[in-house]
Amino acid sequence: MKKIVILLVIIFLVTGCTSKNDAGVVNILNWSSYIPDSVILDFEKETGIKVNYGTYSSNEECLAKIQSAKPGTYDLIFPSDYMIELMKKRNLLEPLDREKILNWNNIADNYRRLDYDKENKYSLPFLAATTVIVVNREHIKDTITSYQDLLKPEYKNNIVLLDDQRIVIGMALQALGYDMNETNKEALKDAKEWLLKLKENVKAFDSDSPKTFFLTNEVDIGVMWNAEAAIAKNKNPNLEVIYPKEGVAISIDNFALPKGAKHKEQAYLFIDYILRPEVMQEIIEDYPYKNVNQATNLLLSSNYLNNPASNIPDYVIKNGHFVNNIGDSILDYDKLWAEIK
Amino acid sequence: MKKKYLHNLFLLLVFAFLYLPIIVLVIFSFNSSSLNIVFEQFTFRWYHVLLENRSLLEAFMNTMIVAFTSTIVSTIIGTISAIGIKKYNFIGKEFIQSLLYIPIVIPEIVLGISLLSIYTLFRLDLSLVTLIIAHITFSIPFVIISVRTILDSLPSNLEDASSDLGANKFKTFWYVTLPSIMPGITSGALLAFTLSLDDVIISYFTAGPDSNTLPLKIYSMIKTGITPDVNALSALILVVTIIILMTSTVLQLRKLRKETEL
Amino acid sequence: MKNSNSIFKKITTIPLKFYAGILIFLPLLYIFILSFFRNDYYGGIIPDFTFDNYRMLIDVVYLKVFLQSFLIAFITTFICICISYPFCLIIKTKKETTQKLIMTFVMIPFLTNSLIRTYGWIVLLRKNGVINQFLMGTHLISSPLSLMYNYFGIVIGMVYTLLPFMILPLNSAVSKLDDSLLDASKDLGANRLQTFFKVVVPETLPGLFNGSLMVFIPAIGLFFISDILGGGKLMLLGNLIKNQFLTARNWPFGAAISITLIIITFIFVKLYKKIGGKMDDLGGGL
Repeated sequence: MKKIVILLVIIFLVTGCTSKNDAGVVNILNWSSYIPDSVILDFEKETGIKVNYGTYSSNEECLAKIQSAKPGTYDLIFPSDYMIELMKKRNLLEPLDREKILNWNNIADNYRRLDYDKENKYSLPFLAATTVIVVNREHIKDTITSYQDLLKPEYKNNIVLLDDQRIVIGMALQALGYDMNETNKEALKDAKEWLLKLKENVKAFDSDSPKTFFLTNEVDIGVMWNAEAAIAKNKNPNLEVIYPKEGVAISIDNFALPKGAKHKEQAYLFIDYILRPEVMQEIIEDYPYKNVNQATNLLLSSNYLNNPASNIPDYVIKNGHFVNNIGDSILDYDKLWAEIK
Repeated sequence: MKKKYLHNLFLLLVFAFLYLPIIVLVIFSFNSSSLNIVFEQFTFRWYHVLLENRSLLEAFMNTMIVAFTSTIVSTIIGTISAIGIKKYNFIGKEFIQSLLYIPIVIPEIVLGISLLSIYTLFRLDLSLVTLIIAHITFSIPFVIISVRTILDSLPSNLEDASSDLGANKFKTFWYVTLPSIMPGITSGALLAFTLSLDDVIISYFTAGPDSNTLPLKIYSMIKTGITPDVNALSALILVVTIIILMTSTVLQLRKLRKETEL
Repeated sequence: MKNSNSIFKKITTIPLKFYAGILIFLPLLYIFILSFFRNDYYGGIIPDFTFDNYRMLIDVVYLKVFLQSFLIAFITTFICICISYPFCLIIKTKKETTQKLIMTFVMIPFLTNSLIRTYGWIVLLRKNGVINQFLMGTHLISSPLSLMYNYFGIVIGMVYTLLPFMILPLNSAVSKLDDSLLDASKDLGANRLQTFFKVVVPETLPGLFNGSLMVFIPAIGLFFISDILGGGKLMLLGNLIKNQFLTARNWPFGAAISITLIIITFIFVKLYKKIGGKMDDLGGGL
């Protein structure tokens, strides 16, 4: 009984403490590995705003939360391209107030007005990511230029792939000469055969930390997001980063306000803060994705600029492919995924 | 003698199995390299990093509040419900008994999303309270199962004897039933506490933006590859739990000894 | 006397009814209804009535997933039983203080985060991991063994995560076991195996059943172990359901799989009751 009373007191104290806050709060839901804690702390120090920071590890996780929670639970989210399109359609986003985002023009021109949100009414790019192939040159000497090259039988149990059905199936489709968003059933059947062959070589599917597989010498070949590849390359210079000739997959993550956001002012302040060149630099050097902030470009270290995995050339981005919404063909993809696993 | 030796060897092997991964984890929390790969140099650095991390401490507080509250509430409700199920017939008993399987059977993610939808239906704001309710939801069946196991092995004439002697239901419960089902209650409470401390998926959907818990925090930290500060954190939790559990065991043992002396 | 009885009945049953009604029945109802709706592939749900979600399940692909999951869950449960029975019987022979101490040390690992513990296994099991280095250092093997990213890794992880759910209920059943029964059996000339199957198992059946339930069912739903220690190469039911909610955005199908899983589990329980027969007397279930 005594314990319960003490606990209740603690609960009141804690909830009491968090509710009195003059500058307000902002409830952010972001990818799990994008913004270092130090950036958030600095923002809190500067503005007095309390940041409640939650994370997700897939766009669909974010969607599930925004869709099922009471509107107004979150103030700022970071969905990718196709998810922006989808959330727009489902009327889950607030239009952005451009006047409130002073650093709007820091975002490079070629990353504005993209297809999924032509007028940037609901979204503003935050950073870009692409897939790359990584090869450990200490052990693998063959030339590798395309996904097709990964099928060689001597790579048995030696490859790590992303645990992401759209990316991996897309890769198979591209290797076979189809579009990465192909929905034709025959094409998918071919993709399945191709993946079953590739699976012989796959040691693991991992989206969280594929770099570890290289650092522990568990595998010599991998397809992963560029920031992971960049970190791995920094630790082991023997790794080579390859842009597959079929074209990389691109994903662009954006600032967006979910419908009914209660703390818009604070959310805008946060966006503006992140868009500052030196803040974005801190973020991008920590998690070396592709920078889309032109004001930050001038500040980037040579380490970032010389790493082929972090500083993806523009021509690669231009020839890259986005994951598109494919309607109910996602059923076929999902089934295919269950088939190869 | 040889048999005893074999017995102890078996216990030793089981404990090796239980503790090896944890020992590895603690060792790597003192590793100077930021990757859990090879041990480079001994350092306390990660513990410093950890203690300066305000949001982690906040998450730790939340975790403790949720774990203790949900364990206490679910143990109380679970225990009395187990007795109710055992002793009484009531309308819909069969059905309710089957329902109790659901939180164990249903995949966590489904329970998480459906609870979230129910909260939204009732226009509840997500907070520590909704999180606690969720944890109570999945803990109660485990408590009921543990208590039922013991209740069923009790001789039924024990309580009859007590009521024959004129004790009312409450007295019988307090002086006869409760002490004899205590092992079941403790193991149920322990299960509930463990489940609460460990839960990621259900918490993910039912926690409010300001009620981050340690497992949620760890889950997102792991996404970037597990780093020694996560190890350091687990090592600290481990030390704290060992202290708490050991004191409670020692206290219990002392009480036990006193009773046997009497 | 009668009054205290009815108050006591109220106290012991009303919270249960509320709990079961609001926190279990409502969510279950939601999932049940959801499983008959149609999916809108732009993330929404269309409230049509359809059996399609269930029809989809009768596909070889998904049956394969069911089989894989049940196989893994079965092996896991079996190994947990094989470890827990001797374990509980051995500590029964110890002094009561030692028993308490041992049980405390069994629980300690489980109060740290299961994800982190699973990562601990990676350090042990990987190609250049502790175990392989040890075995190679002592020249027991010449090239590293594949200890994870396969079935072996998954089963190790499952057993490790779920073991206390077997040990706890089994131990409370075994500790109640009457020593004189064991002695009697021995006096009657039964060997140890006979005693075990003829006396120990029947007497501790409720504990065994509860433990198996609490191991088998979560083993079907756990997805992170297959992802981490299995290298994400094996799709189990937990993964499939998770995918429906968090990748394919097909909530109705995810709901249908969950309902099917629930039904199958109930069939298992009923079957057990039928085979065990005396289940109600033993009261091992709920």
